Amino acid sequence: MTFLSPLLLWFLAAASVPVIIHLLNKRRHKTLQWAAMQFLLKATRESRGKKKLRHILILTCRTLGLAALAFAAARPIVSGLLGWGAGTIDTVVLILDRSASMELRSGDGEDAKRELVLRKIREAMSNIGSPRLVVIDSASGKPQEIPSPDVLGQISATAATDSTANVPTLLASAADVLTKSTGRSEIWLASDLQRSNWRPDDDRWAALRANLQSLPEKPAIRILSISGDSAANTSLRLLNTRRTIDGLILNLELNRSKDNRGSIGLPVTTQINGASQNELITLPGQSLRFQKRIPIKLEDESGHGWLSIPADGNPRDNSVFFAYGPARPIKSIIVSESNEAANYLSLAAAPPNFEKQTVTRIEPGAFAATSTSELSLILWAAPLPTGESAKTLQNFLSSGGQVVLLPSPKSAATEAFLETQWEPISTSASGKFFILKDWERADGPLRDGVDGSPIPAERLRAIKRAIPKSDAAVLAKWEDGEPFITRKIVDKGTLWTIGSIPDYTWSNLGDADVLLPAVQRILALGAERFDASFLAEVGSDSAMLAPSETRTRVDDYSKENSDHVAGVFRLGNRLTAVNRPLAEDELETTTKDSLDAMLEGTDYRLLDQAGQTSDPSLSTHIWRAFLVAMLFFLISEALLCMPKENSVTTTTPQHGGAPSAT
Amino acid sequence: MSAHSFIDSDLLSRLGSLPIESRVPMMGNVAGKHRSPHRGSSVEFAEYRKYVPGDDTRRLDWKAFARSDRFYIKEFEADTNLRAYFVIDASGSMNFHGPGLESKIQYARRIAASLAYLLVNQGDAAGLSICTDKLHLEVPPSRRAAHLERFFTTIEKVEPSGETGLIPALHTIAEKIGQRAFIVILSDFFTDTAELADALQHLRYRKHDISLFHLMDPQEIGFNFDRPHRFVDLEDNTALVVEPNLIADEYHTALNEFLKNVRDKAHDANADYQLVTTDTPLEPLLREFLTARLPKAKH
Repeated sequence: MTFLSPLLLWFLAAASVPVIIHLLNKRRHKTLQWAAMQFLLKATRESRGKKKLRHILILTCRTLGLAALAFAAARPIVSGLLGWGAGTIDTVVLILDRSASMELRSGDGEDAKRELVLRKIREAMSNIGSPRLVVIDSASGKPQEIPSPDVLGQISATAATDSTANVPTLLASAADVLTKSTGRSEIWLASDLQRSNWRPDDDRWAALRANLQSLPEKPAIRILSISGDSAANTSLRLLNTRRTIDGLILNLELNRSKDNRGSIGLPVTTQINGASQNELITLPGQSLRFQKRIPIKLEDESGHGWLSIPADGNPRDNSVFFAYGPARPIKSIIVSESNEAANYLSLAAAPPNFEKQTVTRIEPGAFAATSTSELSLILWAAPLPTGESAKTLQNFLSSGGQVVLLPSPKSAATEAFLETQWEPISTSASGKFFILKDWERADGPLRDGVDGSPIPAERLRAIKRAIPKSDAAVLAKWEDGEPFITRKIVDKGTLWTIGSIPDYTWSNLGDADVLLPAVQRILALGAERFDASFLAEVGSDSAMLAPSETRTRVDDYSKENSDHVAGVFRLGNRLTAVNRPLAEDELETTTKDSLDAMLEGTDYRLLDQAGQTSDPSLSTHIWRAFLVAMLFFLISEALLCMPKENSVTTTTPQHGGAPSAT
Repeated sequence: MSAHSFIDSDLLSRLGSLPIESRVPMMGNVAGKHRSPHRGSSVEFAEYRKYVPGDDTRRLDWKAFARSDRFYIKEFEADTNLRAYFVIDASGSMNFHGPGLESKIQYARRIAASLAYLLVNQGDAAGLSICTDKLHLEVPPSRRAAHLERFFTTIEKVEPSGETGLIPALHTIAEKIGQRAFIVILSDFFTDTAELADALQHLRYRKHDISLFHLMDPQEIGFNFDRPHRFVDLEDNTALVVEPNLIADEYHTALNEFLKNVRDKAHDANADYQLVTTDTPLEPLLREFLTARLPKAKH
């Protein structure tokens, strides 16, 4: 609460007047010689308690009535952002979440969350006397001093973007700003509390808390969240693209907001190289992953386009952009001795009729001299590489390649590659098998298909296995809980391990139920490193201009042209389709418990404007409330002062008669 | 007579036509105008009774003998004089007076002096007993006009102080006065009501005609104060600072209970009870008091 006429608060001293008068009155008593003392003593004994309480209540009502009058005269403003205890603030650091999810509207014709929150902040700022305002927007992450809150909605630093937000980074930036500012400061954080923006698992939170607490004057943190009802929304996102010889395969996903039920037909517009087409996609539930194949002529070296769905609650998540380059063959190599396993792996990496996919087997000793620049996948079914081979393999991984390590009968337990080792080969008990029990259904090479059909991995039986030992994520486990498939991210590439080989003396891995989809999916990932150069996320390094590059928007979906919007851009000589980060479509929000943990020890307050989106005010003049309170106290005082109807009095007797009690 | 401030000669002359009657037969030592329990020589017929040897034959009703052939003695009421005792409480509390009013003791003086004058004037005797916890002054009853001066001087000189000695005084009077008398008690009765009841019963047992004038100041009854007061007890000087507004209800409850108690105790002792506030004009009060005591047959 703050006051427009704080000087009038001195009148609060008037609240003590009733108490002072009471005390003076007690001292200014009159002395009277009295005869009927016995009744006085009895009355005094019996009047303690209720009467005293009543008297105290009367005094309290008088005091509070005057205090309420003084407060009303000082023209108080209550601000959700400021809280009741707020006084004068010298600096406000506003962290504004400009991510794509902040463009969600509360209803048709309503403002987006970002616009709404800006308006509330503008009003609150002017109500508290417009202190120094520094804005750190989530897109640029740079602090910018704003001369007046009135321009908040007009500057580019507060405009809509397709970017994501990194709250820990933004808070760290705010802490840096506050180290250089003097006086009382507050951090106002306007966010939709999207979990992916807040990153509760980020390691930097502890350091950030320490940083905030080490400031000379610990700032209060006010988190302004806009939740509540929102307009129906469907988002379209591009998971990946793959150029084939005669087409472009787009893996897409449609997601609807949680409160939407039932099946709907959604018109999807596709435009490629200026030519548009529409089709109706049936969205049976809340989410649909689908693949769209766009035919491309073989001679087309490159091109770009976009897909969009009709306008809805959030206009920023209705389109995706793509670009492509010339078709490239998908090459793999198998590093193995010539054996049955190598044959099965060859079939999995380049099945018959997959003309674009080729595979070559090489001996482990020849690997160091092999060029990996054109490769998508290396299947390593030999003793783990060492020396030059290991260095070459690691470089391949760093450049975005995919490597699958498989055990070899000649593997030794002492070998290690990137902290990954094979335990000694184990054999199942006689007449029994190692059975695959548990695998990741939403992620990894054994994930369910886009239509939801699962991989029949439970059919895998093994009599021999080797357990990978590393700190990698386990994606599939044997029945006894030991890992079968692991994944380790190495720079841009991925190192996979598969704990058995497609050899009849080891397992039935070669039966194609597991090996073929797993290898093809990993291969697709490997191939993406060539197509991925045409795709980037807003805010990523590849979406940024390199020195001497200029940015030109080449698609006709929108005219917006900046680092923080999606579209197809020519960045120097590069053609890049920039899309909003996939995390922006995730609906999960940060819980209060999670906020408590992240901001533990800081003076933070969450102001959720749920259900108040139609009321754009963060601060309210509440002098009327104080006047009402004053009236209430004065009426209460009057009621308490009124003599009770059944109060006892003694009438003066007529001569010769006795008094009567009434 | 008019040298005393509490004597109003006009009032006395106006009340002079009203006799003071006793409600019970009196046992005076001289003939008077009040009934006696003994048969006497008044003109008032009392009853017939059978002649027994030794009766005065002059009192035989010969006409009755002629009619019934039996001897009857015709008896008449005996009239005697009345002896009144005025018991005045002179405790400190009797000194209280509200603004512009006379004190309770002064009011008591006026009542006692007026009634004493009327009594002596009609040939009866008036005595005085003034009591505190330390003092018990007595003026024996006398019918002589000169006695009145002593009566007036005594009540004029009394200065209320200390705690009340009313209860022991009443017991003493009950024990000391052998013959039936008219006992007029003037007090605020700020004493234990149970003890007061005992004392009144004692007087009643002695067959005295008892009248209580319960004197109260209007301020004591109204208890209307608009600011805190430090009340100092007139009897023992204990002090108490209170906010009268806060305790008025409890005060009135306690006072009403006390007044009812005193009235009930007086009623139990078959005593006349008058609750009088000191702002009450004396003439109507005394007129009503005297009128109420007149025998009903004489109305």
